[in-house]
Amino acid sequence: MTFQVLGCHHHDSTVEFREQLTFTAEQAHTILSQLQQTHPDMETVLLSTCNRVEIYMAAEEQDLCPPQDAMIQLLADFHNLQPADIADQFQLREDKDAVRHLFATAASLDSMVVGEAQILSQVKDAYELATQGGFTGSVTHTAFQAAMRVAKRVATETTINQRRVSIPSIAVADFANRFFENFADKNVLVIGAGEMGEETLRYLIDQQATQIHIVNRDLARAQNLVERTQGEARPWEELDQLLVDADLVVSTTSADDPIVTVERFQAIAHQRHQRTLLVLDLAVPRDFEAAVGEFVGVYLYCIDDLDEVCQRNKDARSQQWPHANEIIDEESGLFMAELAHRSTGPWIQRLQDQAQQLKSDELERLLNKLGENANETVREELDIAFDRLINKLLHPPLESLRNGAHDADHRGLVDALKKLFRLKE
Amino acid sequence: MSEIGNVLANISISCFAFSYLLTLLLEVSRLFFQVPVRWVLIQVITAAGLIAHAIYIGLDISSSLQADATPLASWHAWCVLAALAVALFYFVLAIRRPKNNIGVFLIPVVLVLVLAAALVKDSATFTTDGAISLWEFIHIGSLLAGTVAVAIGCAVGVMYLVQSSRLKKKLPPRTGLKLPSLEWLERNNRRCLFVSTILLAQGLFAGVVMNIIRQVPFEQGVTISSGVLFLWLVAVTLFEYLYKPARQGRKVAYLTLAHFVFLAVVLGYVIFAQHGSGVAS
Repeated sequence: MTFQVLGCHHHDSTVEFREQLTFTAEQAHTILSQLQQTHPDMETVLLSTCNRVEIYMAAEEQDLCPPQDAMIQLLADFHNLQPADIADQFQLREDKDAVRHLFATAASLDSMVVGEAQILSQVKDAYELATQGGFTGSVTHTAFQAAMRVAKRVATETTINQRRVSIPSIAVADFANRFFENFADKNVLVIGAGEMGEETLRYLIDQQATQIHIVNRDLARAQNLVERTQGEARPWEELDQLLVDADLVVSTTSADDPIVTVERFQAIAHQRHQRTLLVLDLAVPRDFEAAVGEFVGVYLYCIDDLDEVCQRNKDARSQQWPHANEIIDEESGLFMAELAHRSTGPWIQRLQDQAQQLKSDELERLLNKLGENANETVREELDIAFDRLINKLLHPPLESLRNGAHDADHRGLVDALKKLFRLKE
Repeated sequence: MSEIGNVLANISISCFAFSYLLTLLLEVSRLFFQVPVRWVLIQVITAAGLIAHAIYIGLDISSSLQADATPLASWHAWCVLAALAVALFYFVLAIRRPKNNIGVFLIPVVLVLVLAAALVKDSATFTTDGAISLWEFIHIGSLLAGTVAVAIGCAVGVMYLVQSSRLKKKLPPRTGLKLPSLEWLERNNRRCLFVSTILLAQGLFAGVVMNIIRQVPFEQGVTISSGVLFLWLVAVTLFEYLYKPARQGRKVAYLTLAHFVFLAVVLGYVIFAQHGSGVAS
């Protein structure tokens, strides 16, 4: 049995490159159907996220899967690209490497933000999509179900996914949640339309924030951000009034000087009546003068404050990394042993059948020769003796095969067994 | 009496006070190190304390009824009941917000009320004409509920100020105290302030009506202290109505704390002057 994964990841390819190869659910179904037509005995699952594009393949024999070049050609053709342009970015992993990779991916150890929970649901979705399309089989079922179990085990036995390590996620989950019970009725003001602001906004939307205003010097950019997320784009001139109404401000402009100075805030402070205002100033250089944080009811956090927590969480996660890796190693070893056991089972059965056939033939020949000299007792004793002989002869090779299920050269042992005993498919 | 009955009859203030003290110590230990089963242990100990507390009150009622006396008609019972209400509030809140260190603030309030109950254990019972009249019931009940609301408001107010100060100082999350969000604290602080103001005003009003109906002369000290408390309630209401910042943030917390101080002074006076028991001047 073989289990392979061909993929490109955030580790060794740029986001621009990965964007060209992304698959929608419909496209994934199409390419998997194509593969099923050309390789009907192969099981496939396609995992396509913003950080990776991976095709998992499994079959009884390696030659039932397409070679790497053919797969690259297929992917390139599908996206109208040149195979030579993408070949270097793809990596093929086989058997234990591939299983280990799947388990590590599902457990979010291979993610850009280690421990983020989203990847597990993406793996589940990919598996379900392939199952619904009829592209999966016994090996992929076992592998993906094991991957989900391993991900849960890693989540339970380590704290690797309990601490956030991206600035936007920390800003919302670790800081904003200490101020607000819910975000549905809060006025959220996003100043600037940068990447960090957008990501923070997405986390806030996940937390049910609905009253969102985006203000930017270039109104068109604010409108673009609104289209990608949600909320309302407002002209720059309304900034002061929006500050009066805001409960939470996320500021991420690239302005060289502070936008909200003490004087500017002083002018509107009386209209806020000391209502709580959380300001997440994620801009460098800062958009809010530090002294604005001294107003009653204003809590001002800059990117350094968040980065400190980010670093601390990263350190805490790295302490959990060895244990998480041990779990992945242990589980992938167990899975490979199980897979090997399943793939050797039919060959062991075939060998035992062949030996039994040999025994029956030889016993029959001998009993015919002995004729009436062999009474019932002799016949029984001969039968037992032949059985014992077969068992003793087969025991050492079969035991080696079973014990070698964990070893890398297990497939070699099976091949040797097939050749030595001339076992047929 | 059965063996269980004997054990129950021996339940004293120290039984549940000890449970609450243990709860407090365990809650404080949460600030320093993590132990997996501690939260469950805290709930079990608190529940045991609450059961002992309830049995103690039950026995008090039972003995009063056997002696043909009005049950719970003493400052001692009044303090024990108030402590039970605050402890119950803590228990429910601790289950609903297991990650927060609410007990560090609420259990001391419970212990103060239990201590006050212990100090006035031998106080005389309230003088009644037999059955408690409606106005007496409203007077005692409102003041009791108002006191509980003020006590909880005080703890929530302190929590708000601590949380606000920690957030201003930008203390990183996951270190030391874990408190509810500022929004939750502010909302409940305001709720306590509102409810306690109404209940205390209602209690004072019922007391005045009761005295007029019974044609009992007003006790001078109690009249002055109650008058001061009433003026304070009026001031709080006006302050809230006229000054918008007083409806949110730290101002609410300060108001609940001031509420607590005023009430503590007034209650301190009326309890130790044995108001209602016919021995005060």
